[in-house]
Amino acid sequence: MTLADLPRSADTARPAATPATLQRRTAWVLTAPALILMAVILLIPVSVAVVLSFTDYSLGNAGFDWVGLANYEKLLTRSAYARMFAATFTYVLVVVPLSVGLGLGAALLINSLGRFRDVYKTIYFLPVMATLIAMAIAWEFMLHPTIGTVNRTLAAGCGTWVETAWPWLAMHCDEGMPLWLGDKRYAIWVICFVGIWQGFGFNMVLYLAGLTSVHRELYHAAEMDGVRSGWERFRLVTWPALGPTTVFVVTISCIRAFQLFDTIEAFYPIGAGPGKSAYVMMYAIFEKGVKQNLVGIGSAITVLFLVFVMMITLIQRWLVERKVHYA
Amino acid sequence: MSGLQIDTITKSFGATEVLKGVSLEIGAGEFVSLVGPSGCGKSTLLRIVAGLEQATAGDIRIGGRSVAGIRAADRNLSMVFQSYALYPHLSVADNIAVPLRMRQLGGWHRLPLIGGLMPGARDRRAAIRQAVAAAADTLEISALLDRKPGQLSGGQRQRVALGRALVREPAAFLLDEPLSNLDAKLRVQTRAEIAQLHRRLGTTFVYVTHDQVEAMTMSDRIAVMMDGRILQCASPDIVYNDPDDIRVAEFIGSPKINLLPAESDGAGRLSVFGHGLPLHGPAPNQVLQVGIRPERLIVGDADAPIAGHVAHLENLGSELFAQVRIAGFNHPVTLRAEPEMAPALHLGARIGLGFDPAHLLVFDAGGKRVRRLSPQAAPRRKETV
Repeated sequence: MTLADLPRSADTARPAATPATLQRRTAWVLTAPALILMAVILLIPVSVAVVLSFTDYSLGNAGFDWVGLANYEKLLTRSAYARMFAATFTYVLVVVPLSVGLGLGAALLINSLGRFRDVYKTIYFLPVMATLIAMAIAWEFMLHPTIGTVNRTLAAGCGTWVETAWPWLAMHCDEGMPLWLGDKRYAIWVICFVGIWQGFGFNMVLYLAGLTSVHRELYHAAEMDGVRSGWERFRLVTWPALGPTTVFVVTISCIRAFQLFDTIEAFYPIGAGPGKSAYVMMYAIFEKGVKQNLVGIGSAITVLFLVFVMMITLIQRWLVERKVHYA
Repeated sequence: MSGLQIDTITKSFGATEVLKGVSLEIGAGEFVSLVGPSGCGKSTLLRIVAGLEQATAGDIRIGGRSVAGIRAADRNLSMVFQSYALYPHLSVADNIAVPLRMRQLGGWHRLPLIGGLMPGARDRRAAIRQAVAAAADTLEISALLDRKPGQLSGGQRQRVALGRALVREPAAFLLDEPLSNLDAKLRVQTRAEIAQLHRRLGTTFVYVTHDQVEAMTMSDRIAVMMDGRILQCASPDIVYNDPDDIRVAEFIGSPKINLLPAESDGAGRLSVFGHGLPLHGPAPNQVLQVGIRPERLIVGDADAPIAGHVAHLENLGSELFAQVRIAGFNHPVTLRAEPEMAPALHLGARIGLGFDPAHLLVFDAGGKRVRRLSPQAAPRRKETV
């Protein structure tokens, strides 16, 4: 049956149906596949997670008991979870601003280039495309306490003027070089570094796309209006024009940062770093819900995770509607 | 307010030369239009004057002082762009204030929050607000000052762009096709307003357009540009009635001038379609072209020496344009007539075409105007050929 047939068949079969009800019915039929898919793969699983977060259910058990808010109480009181929030927020608050800032800087630099644009673009985008597991192995080698390039390079500075100029290096020349991934003082920062290294190329590509939409004549208008420095030009033309891109880039970076899992799993297949110093939310969900089969607590962390992501998305929507679109 | 001298400017993009030694002298307070078809280099010339583009060779002087090596921001010129180029995130008031803020406030004064606390900030900001209000008043956009450019119509945006240009007192205004994004009605209205603005400010205006009507109606002088050269620069009246070049004659005037093939015989006497004219050219046996404006053609008898059939009619109410096909000539000849002539000029009607030989513009084979004509045979006698 084609759409054109609809009114005619309705007229003959059911004279009671008016064109309006018919149209409404057709609308439901047409939206049904999307609605069903959304319910099955999104709404139902989320509701199940919310329900399970109030229980002590384990996979394979015949039944479960309601525990009320006990799971959430654990999340807010136990020190392991306090460490989880600390690691997660450290990662988000370090990685998001730096990867966005570096992405913007790299995009501006590449945009100002005449030649070799594509070469630089490819180089900075490589970490985004590369498999993280392979990259994690490469980083593990580089950060190896004794044979890694990082510590060897640092050790080469011992006994030279660099040591006198840099107290931190002097300390480690005496005590031995840091263990990096094995030291709970450094572990989360190393993870942050890898996260920035891996993520800023993606932001750069988004900013490069945003830069192409900046109207060239605006730069000429700014010049005629007496704008002399590059910084003023950036403030008057480039940065406002990149507003929509920035909101998108920050949101995407935040959500990706909250979703950090694979780097931790690759570096620390057992546990989550020295002294659980890299025990981020995603890893906690995996550990509790899958490894230890504590579905209740795992669901509670999941719900909290969804709340954070939802908050970021709502802030983004608000910004997009109120601030950065100049229509 | 200063004059502008453009001195043998050439500009090449790679191997293509877009400006081939353009010279133009613009007096202080003059309104000069650069007009020509798209791609003739007029916008490039304007951008070179502005300093947004570097000339390959030649010199620009503003108020007698060479501006070679002086960047656009320091040339004290204002420019209105075709796209208006308003800052989308700033309100109308802030848009107009930008040129003043950039020139009158130091870097510290422009910072948000801290800027307001700097010594003297209050007075300077009040002065800028006053100047913005005055500019808005001039252009009758005071009610729009709080809006963003996105909330304005095309005509209003255009006014804001003008306001941003006139809020300070520049040496000259440069306008790059400022009316091309407006609808026809608004264009006519804004045209008159820009001309009035020029009279009121008395500043030098350089106006780039591809629309010869805009150029004709607003300018003190028109510079007709084609293929990277200025073909003629003169008052609208002279450019229209006394063009130097066949391309100028063709470009200026709507509908287009009629061009008819002509030749001179052994004695130098001109003839059109084989009919002798009471005019003598400078040399014998030449192939020439004569141009005659549609309004100079007179409807004659059907048995006149030059006659044809009406092929198309356009009645504009106040005037009537008829396209007449002449046997053995490919292009229709356009004729302007009073609307009262309509009954005689119905489609297919056979009419004769007459003209006063004094109204003929004669061009040589290369398109250059031939002015040395001697009306020996019939001095100034009105004659229907």
